[in-house]
Amino acid sequence: MPFDVQFGWTTPIGDVVLGATRADGGTRRVSYRIGRGTTLPFLEDVNGSPAPLIAFEICDYPAFWSPIIRDYCGDLVNNVNEWTKTADATYGADLVRLHLTSTKQRNFSDIASIGKVVEGVLSATSLPVIIEGSNEPKIDSEVYQKCGETGQGERLLLGTAEAGKYRSIAAAALAYNHSIIAQSPIDINLAKQLNILLKEIGVQRDHIVIDPYTGALGYGFEYSFSAMERIRFSALKGDTDLAMPMICSAADTLTIKEVRETGPEEQDAAAIRWEFYTCLAAAAAGAEIVCVRHPGTIPLLRAAFADMKKEAYVTTGVP
Amino acid sequence: MALKALDIYKLLPKKNCKECGDPTCLTFAMKLAGGKADVELCPYLSDEAKSVLGATTRPPIRLVKIGVGTRNFKIGEEFVLYRHEKTFYHPPGIVFRVTDTMSEAEIVSVTKRVRDETFTRVGADLRFNGIAIENVSGSPETYAKAVATVEKVEAHLPPVLIASDPTALRAALVHCGTYRPLLHAATKENYKEMCALAKQHGCPLVIRSDSLDGLVQLAKDCNAEGAGDLVMDLAPATLGDFVRRSTAIRQLAITRAAPDLGYPVYLDTVKTGQQDAAVALGIVKYASVIVTDPLPAMSAKAALTLRQNIYTDPQKPIQMNPGIYRVGAPDKDAPVLMTVNFSLTFFTLQGYLESARIPCFMLIVDTEGLSVLTAVAAGKLSEMLVRDSIKKFGLEGEVSHRKLIIPGYASPLSGRIEEATGWKVLVGPRDAAEIGEYLHEEWKK
Repeated sequence: MPFDVQFGWTTPIGDVVLGATRADGGTRRVSYRIGRGTTLPFLEDVNGSPAPLIAFEICDYPAFWSPIIRDYCGDLVNNVNEWTKTADATYGADLVRLHLTSTKQRNFSDIASIGKVVEGVLSATSLPVIIEGSNEPKIDSEVYQKCGETGQGERLLLGTAEAGKYRSIAAAALAYNHSIIAQSPIDINLAKQLNILLKEIGVQRDHIVIDPYTGALGYGFEYSFSAMERIRFSALKGDTDLAMPMICSAADTLTIKEVRETGPEEQDAAAIRWEFYTCLAAAAAGAEIVCVRHPGTIPLLRAAFADMKKEAYVTTGVP
Repeated sequence: MALKALDIYKLLPKKNCKECGDPTCLTFAMKLAGGKADVELCPYLSDEAKSVLGATTRPPIRLVKIGVGTRNFKIGEEFVLYRHEKTFYHPPGIVFRVTDTMSEAEIVSVTKRVRDETFTRVGADLRFNGIAIENVSGSPETYAKAVATVEKVEAHLPPVLIASDPTALRAALVHCGTYRPLLHAATKENYKEMCALAKQHGCPLVIRSDSLDGLVQLAKDCNAEGAGDLVMDLAPATLGDFVRRSTAIRQLAITRAAPDLGYPVYLDTVKTGQQDAAVALGIVKYASVIVTDPLPAMSAKAALTLRQNIYTDPQKPIQMNPGIYRVGAPDKDAPVLMTVNFSLTFFTLQGYLESARIPCFMLIVDTEGLSVLTAVAAGKLSEMLVRDSIKKFGLEGEVSHRKLIIPGYASPLSGRIEEATGWKVLVGPRDAAEIGEYLHEEWKK
């Protein structure tokens, strides 16, 4: 007797395209269509949905980056183009996520330099790219405008829109046909509210990736885990304002006491394991893009995702 | 189909005799409806009522106890697919594996590690739970000797005995048969002998099959043989198999669509070849016993932390006792930082203060476990609360100055706190990560 496992889902997750190939007017060698899930993560027919994507996070001003990563990557962190190439060719990431940390410097105003950094990264890799703009209301508009313009045609994913700041990023995304990350502080209702605000100013569902915000493992990760499960659940039950793919970054996990205060000989192992546990659990809860900062985390995630997507060798009674 | 409390009440004797331990039949009915009581507690039920109630009021997943003494652990008795629907009650026992081909010294060292290793974080002691001993040699004598080696350490850890040969298990049970070990595993070939052993020693038994049909059949067969405390090994060939089967079983069990699958799940991570991944997925996807080779230190901490997170009750925020906490050995000139009693806020701030290496006082005020942002928004954090807390905990006697650093998110209250307390208020950063830099730059001035 085959078992009939009923969840009562009615609606698949919507999809979002990341990156544009030549055929679509860009220069990326690959473009990803994420989303389209019809049930809980990893439960569906193996060919039905792709494995989660792994993004490697880099920055253009490493003073604001984890010292663990600075030590591990060495001189690369001072050359964002070389770092990008390495993330693509050596670390084996699916996506590169550039944080424009240079904009965090006091009284930063050199917008032209932002354009050069983005241009450099886009020519250093032909993978789809995520760009995190500034976090300073005074320059947000110019920074996002510059990023959007420089990446025109490439179908970037721009971050990060929040309830208090989404207009300038949305304007850049709309003007140059990019998608955006919509972040809310670990709360399904706030996530929905932000998506509605974005919809009202004309950002289409298929241009939004939800970031429910990922608390550090051991310091609130359980809230993020449940927020992701609830968003996925509501989406599959038919709430189209939440039916977008999700992104999770393990960045906070590198700053917690347990990782920060590990001795130098074990610090890489600590960073890798904590990022890995965080990202794998987030993927099981519904994240379709997981972001890491330690290169050593990528092969572990890759192997785990491959094994989770493998065809079950027994099909009797297994959904 | 689950019965409602009133439907159950109709079947009860309505004597309010209190013999079940509840004051009235109605409160007993409510407990039964929630799966929190056993029908057997009522001495006056007819057999017919018992059979009707038994099937619907039993917890959908059986509670199974492994081991005896202070380190025993209980698994099962779960009710939901998502932790946010209620909570997950019984964290999985993570059990380190040794084999009977290891040296005595190795076996002893793993056993001692599980006995002694404690990882303390956010106010809780996290530990691994037991020792699995696997018969790899094929010899019952060698196996029994390995089990005896573990028991000689007198760690009193719950044992998991892994052997496909009932003769080997019988030999091992001589050494630990009274400690309620978990036996692994009954299959359709050997279940009769395995059930006889489980029954003889009163221990829980793992049933193993790679199909749900196979598990149902085995559960029925083992019940018929008198073995009731069962745990299910889904024999996954990949991590994906595990996630799919484990999720299907949880859903079928809690909806009572397949009551014969209402047992906790066992996961052997060794065979997956990816232990970290299997441990993490076991924790988030419904495993109740997780067998793993001894984890390296960093994996161990991440695994225990993930388990702690996922099995935290989402219905109640974890709170600290309000009061004054010291970081280092602060003197009368040391800074005072006020924050809320939400435990994550407390431990995050405390961690950064410790690494800043500036001795200081933390004034923890009672916001009923709300974070700074939510406490300010909900009006739980107010100038009166801060004023009363300063008085109540005797802060004025601890320091000679009258300066209070408040969290960045509490800045809207800064003026009112100054007025109410007479203390000078300094607004600190929003993010605890910046507190070290803040203290070095602002306090030292």
